[in-house]
Amino acid sequence: MADEFKQITNFDRLIHEPSRLAIMAVLSACENADFTFLLNATGLSKGNLSSHLSKLRDAGYVNITKGFKGNYPHTTCALTRGGRRAFDAYRKQYLALARRLKK
Amino acid sequence: MTIQPDIEALISETRQYEFVDGLRDLQMAAMMAFFGILIWFGLTPTGMRSFVLMILYLKDTFGSWATRLISLSVYFLLLVAFLVGSFWMMRALRRKWLWRESGWVKPLRMQVPGRVNILAAAIFLSGIAVSITLLIAGKVDESFVLRMLWAATGWCFGFTLLGMGREIGLMRYVRLGAVGGIASTILLFLPLSFGQAAILLNGAWALALGITGAIALRGSSTAIRQVNHGR
Repeated sequence: MADEFKQITNFDRLIHEPSRLAIMAVLSACENADFTFLLNATGLSKGNLSSHLSKLRDAGYVNITKGFKGNYPHTTCALTRGGRRAFDAYRKQYLALARRLKK
Repeated sequence: MTIQPDIEALISETRQYEFVDGLRDLQMAAMMAFFGILIWFGLTPTGMRSFVLMILYLKDTFGSWATRLISLSVYFLLLVAFLVGSFWMMRALRRKWLWRESGWVKPLRMQVPGRVNILAAAIFLSGIAVSITLLIAGKVDESFVLRMLWAATGWCFGFTLLGMGREIGLMRYVRLGAVGGIASTILLFLPLSFGQAAILLNGAWALALGITGAIALRGSSTAIRQVNHGR
């Protein structure tokens, strides 16, 4: 059991936070997604989503592109290469731990 | 959010988003119908006459270099133009209607796993190899080999659809791929010409994908209407 606790402490804390984990999971499954899609997929409020995206951008995991679609502002988010690697590593750890706990 | 999210469900739902509205099914259906008609028409006397007239016109107007260039690539160019046009229409429908409220996603480039593509190609080539072996052994005639081209195409496409359906968790593609792939075998036992087999295979797939696409689109548009009326 001590090993399992040790594995949990080794998780990337930035990704492990539930809201940011949801954001990373959604972005890992596509090339990019806009703000509206992330809002609907994660169920977060606009403020919360913006705040978490900023943290992920500052860590170099997410690229945020602001533009316009017609007259409306349009924000698109995508995982960076580093972000994809970090999420893949997190997911491997998470699944390995889940399998171990199941046994 | 305080509870750990189900990341596998989020990943699955995001990967399925591209296919939930049924437009990809309808696009594939349109492509297959167009391709089948193009092949069939090209092999009819009218089609061949039109092709020869086009070559003569190009030679008189632009010279022989244009004739060679355009006549070799005309079918390919038509398919590319149709593909580009269908993607444009899909984007327009999603921008103005289907994805306006739910948001925009650019899907991953490789939705089909590499191993599925390799196996699908192996299935196609195996079919051709078997038919050529049987032809050399004198068990079948040349028309069987030509029909095998289309049957093997059906197996290959069915397997790819099944593989993609399993990868992204979309059951309708798993069922459609399995049933359609197996049903493509029927072509081997029907007395059809190359052009007739082309239109039958592509037409059947177009019909199946058209039905699944229309059902999915109806579901999506109902959901959008309910959301709008709830405001």
